[in-house]
Amino acid sequence: MPLLTVEHVARIEGHGTITVDVHDGEVRDISMDVVEPARFFESIVVGRRFDEAPLITSRICGICSPNHALTSIKAMEAALGVDVSERTRVMRKLLVYGSYLQNHATHLYLFAAPDFVGLPSVFPLVETHPEVVERALRIKKLGNDLTTLVGGRPVHPITAVVGGFTSEPDPHVLEGFAETLRELAEDLTETVGLFSTFEVPDFSTSGDMLALSSEDDYAIYEGDVVAVDGGWRKPVSAYRDFIREQVLTHSNAKHSMVDGRTFMVGALPRVNASSDSLTQQAKDALRNAGVSAVSRNTFHNNMCQAVELVDAAGRCAGYIDQLLEMGGSTAPVSVAVRAGEGAGATEAPRGTLYHSYRVDDDGIITAGDVITPTAQNLANLEADMRVFAPTVVGLPRDEFLLSLEQLVRAYDPCLSCAVH
Amino acid sequence: MGARVVVLGLASDFGCQVQLTNIEDHLLDVLGLIDLSYWQLASSGHMPDEYDVALVEGAVTTDEHVELLRKVRETAAVVIAIGSCAVTGGIPALAGTGDLEGRYEAVYGEGTDVARGRTRPVAVTSVIEVDYIVPGCPIDTGEFLKVLSRVLGGLSDKPSEQPMCFACKTRENVCFFEKGEMCLGVVTRSGCHARCISLGRPCTGCRGIAPEANLGAARDVFEQHGFETARSLHAMNLYNTNEEVAL
Repeated sequence: MPLLTVEHVARIEGHGTITVDVHDGEVRDISMDVVEPARFFESIVVGRRFDEAPLITSRICGICSPNHALTSIKAMEAALGVDVSERTRVMRKLLVYGSYLQNHATHLYLFAAPDFVGLPSVFPLVETHPEVVERALRIKKLGNDLTTLVGGRPVHPITAVVGGFTSEPDPHVLEGFAETLRELAEDLTETVGLFSTFEVPDFSTSGDMLALSSEDDYAIYEGDVVAVDGGWRKPVSAYRDFIREQVLTHSNAKHSMVDGRTFMVGALPRVNASSDSLTQQAKDALRNAGVSAVSRNTFHNNMCQAVELVDAAGRCAGYIDQLLEMGGSTAPVSVAVRAGEGAGATEAPRGTLYHSYRVDDDGIITAGDVITPTAQNLANLEADMRVFAPTVVGLPRDEFLLSLEQLVRAYDPCLSCAVH
Repeated sequence: MGARVVVLGLASDFGCQVQLTNIEDHLLDVLGLIDLSYWQLASSGHMPDEYDVALVEGAVTTDEHVELLRKVRETAAVVIAIGSCAVTGGIPALAGTGDLEGRYEAVYGEGTDVARGRTRPVAVTSVIEVDYIVPGCPIDTGEFLKVLSRVLGGLSDKPSEQPMCFACKTRENVCFFEKGEMCLGVVTRSGCHARCISLGRPCTGCRGIAPEANLGAARDVFEQHGFETARSLHAMNLYNTNEEVAL
């Protein structure tokens, strides 16, 4: 029997191919080959000015660009010893959540949901279930509007720079947006409801789970890195010591390990690490969905994204109330150029994203490093595929391959991020 | 049914494809006007043998891309290059400057065999002739809808050839040069409503060099404000390494 392949897996960001070797009903080998072309970001930032890094690396990914921009900014601020205002920190969290609303809505409705209703895309639902498509577009637009409000446009934020923001939203518009967030709360709860009706395989991943964690907030913008199984907590600045990257022959993306094992990042690890910090509505949604924290079922990543949507709406309305009361400024603080190196991390929609840079006395970048969520997930995804494939290999060929695609899509992979 | 449309992504961040999904208010209307035949990002299915319109995002970085583009050019009546990567090479083309093999080794280490069939990154417009362009990083959804409606109506479209300064002045923005900051609006193709500048961020040139830009006068402006030509060219290189840019 020839190798079975799914070339250019659909409804994921980037180009990847699943290859399975099945012999006499047994899965002999399986791999996820990332064919997305390399763009050499870590090399092209070298020689550019420090303030160009966020602009350039934001172009690693058009779908989570606010996270790349902010992670790059944080790393550069660490390198140059820049402290930003409390107001800037809150505003940046809003920008990350704009990315969450936009990304999770796109992944859940446009990429993941069609699998569960047996359709090639969401488009046929326009005829049969217009209310679902309209809801999907409302949530996605909510994310785009928030990103635009804070960052100036939905993709590649303009206003976020090293030190702060070049422009701030009008307080009346912010206030109105908090109102909109509260009005759309029902759409988000219904998203959890919709995904509760989708049956997922009973499956358990073997890898560890990593996420940022902070004592005073659901950690998406700051905090230390925790390993749910490993039980440790480490500072972001040490990431190159605890994450080991390796180059493979079948993939343009590198693979990552911690403590000698594969691991997962994303909504499921975040919820597992910080479920106590979720808003009450999100905790209720999680309980009603029947997902326990800690869940080891990779397929629950979809549900955890939906729960994070519920959490995001309440939390962002709270941040806006805070901004309206707190005063202060987000105007960029002055930056004294000096030689240095620094690392930063945020929780992108797909998991922890790390950037680090070294700059010289003139503020010119001499080294850069980026580890994206999907690059961290790929080894764990392949490990999951090796365990999961034998349990579904008895299905007819198309259903077998679709099951594997579903597992891939549960990770919400971004292959252009993974290769970068 | 309307024109058969395929959407293709080469080396890119998918940002312009994401912008295509960001026309929420008009998405359902647009879908009613076209026959969306292939779009890996949004739907399962295979690339068809025949189609009318190809939207191409991304820079050309592999032999496979070159082959695909030649086939697309033979098949499609209309090819639209969307975004800086496809139009001017954009950020991915930065890797084409200097030692490409050195960059490869810097990222992957020596003696590995990944990223096969790689070529020096260039714009789609450097490999095939395209019929329409939608510049920008990312594209502006309004500009895209305007171009698409002209394509569907069989009309030609020509993006603005003037630099940004005029548009910027009508928006009453304070010029960055007056604040001692470098701004590439003086040489960059307008048509984006000077969005970045209006939000306090100097232009970084993502729409490409304006055909009508007076580069000699621009060099004088840069120099008068203390920016040496080498520094100005470095800034202009960010999105324009594909062209011979001289000041």
